[in-house]
Amino acid sequence: MPEPEGIRTGGPTGAEVGAEAAAEVGGEARAGGDARAGAVDARAGGTSRPGTGSGPGRLLVAVYAIFALAAGARAGVQIATKFSEAPVAYALSAFAAAVYVLATVALARGGRTSLRVAVAACGTELAGVLVVGTLSVADSAAFPDETVWSGYGRGYGFVPLVLPVVGLLWLRRTARQGGGPEAGGGRPVGGGV
Amino acid sequence: MTGAAASSTRRSSSLVRVSNVLATVIIVVALLAAAYALVTALRDRPMGTGHLVALGVLEALLVAQAVVGFVKLSGDGGPDSPATFVGYLLGVLLIPAAGAGWGLLERTRWGPGVIVVAALAVAVMIVRLDQLWSGTVA
Repeated sequence: MPEPEGIRTGGPTGAEVGAEAAAEVGGEARAGGDARAGAVDARAGGTSRPGTGSGPGRLLVAVYAIFALAAGARAGVQIATKFSEAPVAYALSAFAAAVYVLATVALARGGRTSLRVAVAACGTELAGVLVVGTLSVADSAAFPDETVWSGYGRGYGFVPLVLPVVGLLWLRRTARQGGGPEAGGGRPVGGGV
Repeated sequence: MTGAAASSTRRSSSLVRVSNVLATVIIVVALLAAAYALVTALRDRPMGTGHLVALGVLEALLVAQAVVGFVKLSGDGGPDSPATFVGYLLGVLLIPAAGAGWGLLERTRWGPGVIVVAALAVAVMIVRLDQLWSGTVA
């Protein structure tokens, strides 16, 4: 039987998302909501998968899916219509799209292997947006056409820069809750059985 | 000859007007749906029928826009990159449906949270579509 207190400790720290912080303040008076939240937490703790794709993670997956779609469609159009103009930039577009698809699927699936894949994908993204962002600013001739990562994701409201950071933070939190190697005593009682 | 050209111009200009009105309506509906879902999420309630209806209306409007967009493309004076335009036109159709499915799986406040993201994404994509058509942004 999962111990709600231990699992719930992760709840309030989810205030990385501003909306939740606001909701916590507004929802203080509610009584019925607590029981429901407890039930959800118990369910998350009762299964062996860390649940990267549920709760707040569901939002993250939604944003990732939109970027997978945006980057994939953009790369498809670029490669289909004018690949010879800038092969490096367009190949990079396709690579970025593949990484977003990988991250979306891994985050949505959850589980141990997916967790590793998701960490690798988010890490690749962070490296990609920093390297390509820097290169595209320093040497714009090498990147004649925009990719999602050009100018640190300027064309997409800098979301490509923020997304992998949020993704990695979220993965670290769920890894702790699920009793990962770096779990600092946060393993829920009976959660792994 | 000149008569045909004139009527074609008249037809395409009225089409442009229709699609402009449609784009505005879609953006307003998308923002309203996002606001409605945001209120639900802040009240810590799961998704309800109301959200599905809002997404259904949005989807219907997007289908109408896709039809108008393709008719517009077959006329003269299209965007610089028709492939990108078509990509947005069809890609945006996926978002309300995917958002509804993904949000329904989550019976917490994060379900409507997904709808907020989906509806805002639709609004942004419609703005991009307009920019692509008018050539404000390459």
